[in-house]
Amino acid sequence: MALNGIQIFKMTPKTNCKECGSPTCMAFSMKVAQGAAEISACPHMSEEALATLAEATAPPMKTIKVGTGDKEYTLGGETVLYRHDKTFVSRTRYAISLCSCMDDATVDAKLEAMKKVDYERIGEQMYVEMVYVNYHEGDAQDKYLDIVKKAAATGRVLVLGCADEAVAKAALDICKDSKPILNGANAANAEAMSKLATDAGVVLGVSGADLNELYDTVAKLEGLGNKNLVLDTTGADVKATFANTVQVRRAAIKNEDRTFGYPSIVNLSKIAKDDKYMQEALASLFTMKYGSIVVLDEMSYGAALPLYGLRQNLFTDPQKPMTVEPGIYPINGGDENSLCLTTVDFALTYFVVSGELERSGVPCNLLISDAAGMSVLTAWAAGKLSSGTIAKFVQENVEDKVKCRKLVIPGKVAVLKGDLEAKLPGWEIIVAPDEAVQLVKFMKEFK
Amino acid sequence: MLLFDIVFNGNDKMYAEAEEAVNAAIAKYGEEKAVGFPETAYALAAYYAETGDKITNLKECKEGLAYIKTQMPRERRLDSVFKSGVATALAAEILEVTKYIDGDPYEGISEGAMTDAQLRELGVPLVVYDIPCVALIIHAAPSVQEAVDLVKSYQSQGNFVCLVGGIIDQLKEANYNMGFNVRVYPIGDNISCAAHAVSVASRVAMVFGNITPGDKVGLQKYHFERFRCFVNAFGPLDEKTVACGAGAIYYGFPVITNDMEYTPSVPKSLIKLADVSKFNKASLEARNIKIKVTNVDIPVAFATAFEGEIIRRGDMQVEFDGSRVDSFELVQTKELTEIEDHNIEVIGPELDEFEQGSKNGIAFVVEVAGKKMQTDFEPVFERKFHAWINGAEGVMHTGQRDMIRVRVSKDAYEAGFRAKHFGEILYAKIKGEFEAVVDKCQVKVYTDQAECTRLRHELAQASFDKRDERLSNLTDENVDVFYTCILCQAFSPSHVCIVTPERLGLCGAVSWLDAKATHELDPEGACQVVPKEGLIDENLGAYESFNEAVHKYSMGALERITMYSIMVDPMTSCGCFECICGIEPFSNGVAIANREYAGMTPLGMTFPELASMTGGGVQTPGFMGHGKHFIGSKKFMAAEGGIQRIVWMPKELKDVVADRLNATAKELYGIDNFADMIGDETITDSDPEALVAFLTEKGHPALGLDPLM
Amino acid sequence: MPFNQKPEKFAAKINTVTIGNGDKAIALGGESVLPFYAFDGPIDNAPKVGVEVTDLGVDESVPGVKAYYEGCSSVAEMAKKASEMEGADFVVLSLKGGDPNGEDKPTEDLVAIVKEVVEALGDYPLVVEGSGNVEKDSELLTKVSEACQGKNALIMSAKEENYKTVGASAGLAYGLNVGAESAVDINLAKQLNVITTQLGVNAEKIVMNIGNAAVGYGYEYVVSTMDRIRNAALSQDDATLQMPIITPVSIDAWSVKESMASEEDMPEWGPAEERGIGMEIMGAAADLVSGSHAVILKHPQSVATISKMIKELV
Repeated sequence: MALNGIQIFKMTPKTNCKECGSPTCMAFSMKVAQGAAEISACPHMSEEALATLAEATAPPMKTIKVGTGDKEYTLGGETVLYRHDKTFVSRTRYAISLCSCMDDATVDAKLEAMKKVDYERIGEQMYVEMVYVNYHEGDAQDKYLDIVKKAAATGRVLVLGCADEAVAKAALDICKDSKPILNGANAANAEAMSKLATDAGVVLGVSGADLNELYDTVAKLEGLGNKNLVLDTTGADVKATFANTVQVRRAAIKNEDRTFGYPSIVNLSKIAKDDKYMQEALASLFTMKYGSIVVLDEMSYGAALPLYGLRQNLFTDPQKPMTVEPGIYPINGGDENSLCLTTVDFALTYFVVSGELERSGVPCNLLISDAAGMSVLTAWAAGKLSSGTIAKFVQENVEDKVKCRKLVIPGKVAVLKGDLEAKLPGWEIIVAPDEAVQLVKFMKEFK
Repeated sequence: MLLFDIVFNGNDKMYAEAEEAVNAAIAKYGEEKAVGFPETAYALAAYYAETGDKITNLKECKEGLAYIKTQMPRERRLDSVFKSGVATALAAEILEVTKYIDGDPYEGISEGAMTDAQLRELGVPLVVYDIPCVALIIHAAPSVQEAVDLVKSYQSQGNFVCLVGGIIDQLKEANYNMGFNVRVYPIGDNISCAAHAVSVASRVAMVFGNITPGDKVGLQKYHFERFRCFVNAFGPLDEKTVACGAGAIYYGFPVITNDMEYTPSVPKSLIKLADVSKFNKASLEARNIKIKVTNVDIPVAFATAFEGEIIRRGDMQVEFDGSRVDSFELVQTKELTEIEDHNIEVIGPELDEFEQGSKNGIAFVVEVAGKKMQTDFEPVFERKFHAWINGAEGVMHTGQRDMIRVRVSKDAYEAGFRAKHFGEILYAKIKGEFEAVVDKCQVKVYTDQAECTRLRHELAQASFDKRDERLSNLTDENVDVFYTCILCQAFSPSHVCIVTPERLGLCGAVSWLDAKATHELDPEGACQVVPKEGLIDENLGAYESFNEAVHKYSMGALERITMYSIMVDPMTSCGCFECICGIEPFSNGVAIANREYAGMTPLGMTFPELASMTGGGVQTPGFMGHGKHFIGSKKFMAAEGGIQRIVWMPKELKDVVADRLNATAKELYGIDNFADMIGDETITDSDPEALVAFLTEKGHPALGLDPLM
Repeated sequence: MPFNQKPEKFAAKINTVTIGNGDKAIALGGESVLPFYAFDGPIDNAPKVGVEVTDLGVDESVPGVKAYYEGCSSVAEMAKKASEMEGADFVVLSLKGGDPNGEDKPTEDLVAIVKEVVEALGDYPLVVEGSGNVEKDSELLTKVSEACQGKNALIMSAKEENYKTVGASAGLAYGLNVGAESAVDINLAKQLNVITTQLGVNAEKIVMNIGNAAVGYGYEYVVSTMDRIRNAALSQDDATLQMPIITPVSIDAWSVKESMASEEDMPEWGPAEERGIGMEIMGAAADLVSGSHAVILKHPQSVATISKMIKELV
């Protein structure tokens, strides 16, 4: 059972010594309760209190780190099954799949294509974080190692899909410093693979013929002291894979069965072989339901744009809205003489409004001021969108860049019109329709 | 003659005619001859709905008559009158169907039976009350003009008018356009034609009301509650007509007649009224029908887009300023009989008589009445005046109660805007938005200065004082129910506010009265009733019923809640809170931060930091979001000792709440100037020890209370 | 020690709503488990895929769609062709041309199209979507309901503003199924279901459209609203939320920048059609796993893919 802040506070020394970095013991306790601070940050906790707290605050699912530097990613650490219950914390990461069975040209082409997908969306850089390098049993070791080298050269985190101990060892020698995942443990080789991974200091991927075998293998590895794992939940087909992935996550979080408290790998190259569109569908499915790493044959913009958009939405904190940067956004080739419209910085509002404006085809400038990421009415009610905030933004950021002196304000805050006219001399203030969908008509009819 | 005898005789006559017609038809065609009305799947719908049996041939007509005979008791009881009334209608339907054996008997203007297709077309607007009502008018009006005026009055309100007898000829004489499409439906000349109107009602009940044929009780209930119909019967009345009327009354359709002699009157059901021009109003009122008002009848545009318009001095035709000249606005609840709906009265000079640019007084007195109206709604309506009046182009309104200011622009004046149009706006919006509780509304606009002054003191201020007194006397103990508010669930899915008289919503915007009004106006909306049942702990404010409510409305996310504790199952917060209070352990009390306060608190957390751990609908013992007004409440963390636990709050907030806080502290603990004992950022904004030193110096009561935890 | 499987069993279940008649009829809902959780219990009615055609004719902007309807000279022919698409379970006729802010086609013209489509499809399941304008739809969908009489079609959409007319005509007068449309909020969805049933519409004749968004465009609200509705329906046994859910995916998926920007404008993005298919497929898969019982798509590739995915999962 999780402890609340008051319960944790009672175990602190109550001295407000500030050594933990928080101004008071109460503030520190509240942060710990929220999972925003580690209890170990307090140097004055008694052993007894620490033990009690460690047990009570241990997460149901481990947080596993892979990669290094700015390419270090956190997997797992989830505490809920539904985002509305709190929030999902570790984004699903995507890997493209290479195999020792591929010829050089194919490998090169895939890596080149992968590199092309690299763009920003609402403050987040989108690209393929991982490369899955599969060792096809019986293939030449050297060929596999060549591919590992090429993949490692991209700087992406590698997932070595290799159950052959000797080959795996050779591959790790090439890339272990960049903290890849060795996805190769199973019921038969668990002990040996665990040693390999532990010696190399990398995360070990575990698979099993079914959930029972997987469970036993994990238990065995934990018995060996290895808790730096990810679970390959890929089954024989789509149905089995979905069942595995959901049940593993559910067991960990709902039933607090910590043996399954690890991130997952779902390999779509296996269950939807060579079917690009099916892989797109499944990538979406497993982003929604509990895939920590999803492996695809390839990643084009056609797949990346929707997939990364979905991920960005899904992993937002329900308490904290997505925002866009304040600024002037020209639309349909808007220039300094084009009509100005303004709305809030709540990303959803921005997208809806800019989408409708684009559809109108009328050149214009969309002015976004800081409204604390709230929707129009909420921001207005909270005082984050007022004639003052709009006027200040316009005077400080717009007047020297735009010559047009017509400003359209959202219909829902028509009440600001008079005040704005007073605060923005020289501007004509126009009230837009209440709903964004009416903007196309409004813009087309606007003279 | 007694009503019993009239109805029984009428029933017998109708029955005899039907029997004769059926026998004659059998003699001519034989018993197996099929009968039915055109294009309907419901056979003789009135009979089918009552009995569950479809009459399809003459043999069944005969059996039907035998059944009807059993429904004609002759004991002198009201029940017998009703049964006989229905029996009359069923007999009339059988009589009518015999006329159709040789093809459609209705020629010329009269249309007879309605088809299912017409019925479905009619049914949708009927069910959604786009057609507010069905009027059945029987016999000729005293004059052609009165006939035309009455039909036109119903038609202009969107009602569907059915005609039987002499009135059809009267309209024909006046060249009045009739037909299904214009919602004036001439059925036929004979009173037995009324059966076709009954058939419509029966089919609507079966098609739209899912009433099982034969479910007599369900049918009667449906008609009584849902199918809005009434009968206007012109004298001289006869026995058959009255017998049909008894059937109508049984179904809940009132009958209004101008025959002052023939029958006794029955309140709400059989109304006698000599003046035909009053039929419309009396009929609608008797059936409790409100005509929807959506149109604001003023010469300038009306839209929310004009809400923020400011009229500057130079553009202004006339100004009314409550800060200089007596002015006010007021909603008053009246009896239904005291109000003439849509009566707009200007008392005093019109705007034309005011000098351009002058400053004057004005008063809006809106009188409303309704069966579900409560005086508690008055301030809720009143608060909307501002937005409504502002909605008119070229009109500006600020303030409320007796501190209002209203300006009318020159443009609006030029366009024809006058004082009476204030009345039109208020009338239309009150009726439009509060239709659920307002049946009638009239508006008085006072521009007479002396009257404004007199009424402000005699009427308005008295009302405001009474209201304030009511508010201050409303306590959690003396009301029976609280309300939920889940307006914020879009942002905070599992949060449920419970609003009580002494604890308004944590956003500060929803009081118990607001919640109550919201519930009455929109029974399925965000505010639902929470009874006070199953007391668990009075001190904590814990009830079984509250737990059930939060469990239900949080979709299972919350199990328990208390009203007056911040330690035990405290109320959750969405994120809209005006203030957050949290335990300050070193002084054994709580510190409060308000949203506007940007600095640090002795808790070691700023408002945003507190907000991030208190919001989102999760219970955080020791921390709670609340409205500013709640700070002076006797119920503020009452379970932990109440407001004497408050040890710190920002100065600005303290200034706002000091008066109420001091009054409550005086009443509860006998402490004077309690606010001065509370620390603020000028004492310390972050150091608990400095705070404790301050509190010790002031002798703050929290230091001596039981430990909070 | 083997893994202790703990199936999540609910006593409550989703209502079953049938659309269409005879062999071709489809059933939505009826299960007592979360979407695709076949390991917890049986899913008798797999989710269904609908193909959208509109009164505006063939969408010329998407080559794959244009090619599929090659040679069709009427909306009725398109509807027939759509019903034959690989993976299609039902056809959706959208009357967006009726929108007063768009083409503003008269009601009579649209009803004539509906009649032709009804004729062409016979017993095949049909869903009709209105113009999207609440006032127009009040009138339009009443007439549409009449035209669909006896076809057990689903009429979309009754919204808070016009549920009375749409509910009364589709649900009461003509005994059809009613789509109850609300804007991505569990309480609005619930409230609409309550008032629609209070109107007299049978709860087993209601399908919810709780709203949608393109992935990347506030889609998190859709996820959470669906998650919460499914949870309320199954674990809270909330009868006012046990209606199956239908989600129009194509409209949002094909109207965002990702699928509309031309390859000339965004050369590195590649062909617009591929991006549109991606938006549609991923949106549909996410909707289905969140709780939709039926998705409405447009591109033949999306229809085939999603239908295949459903078959593999159930």
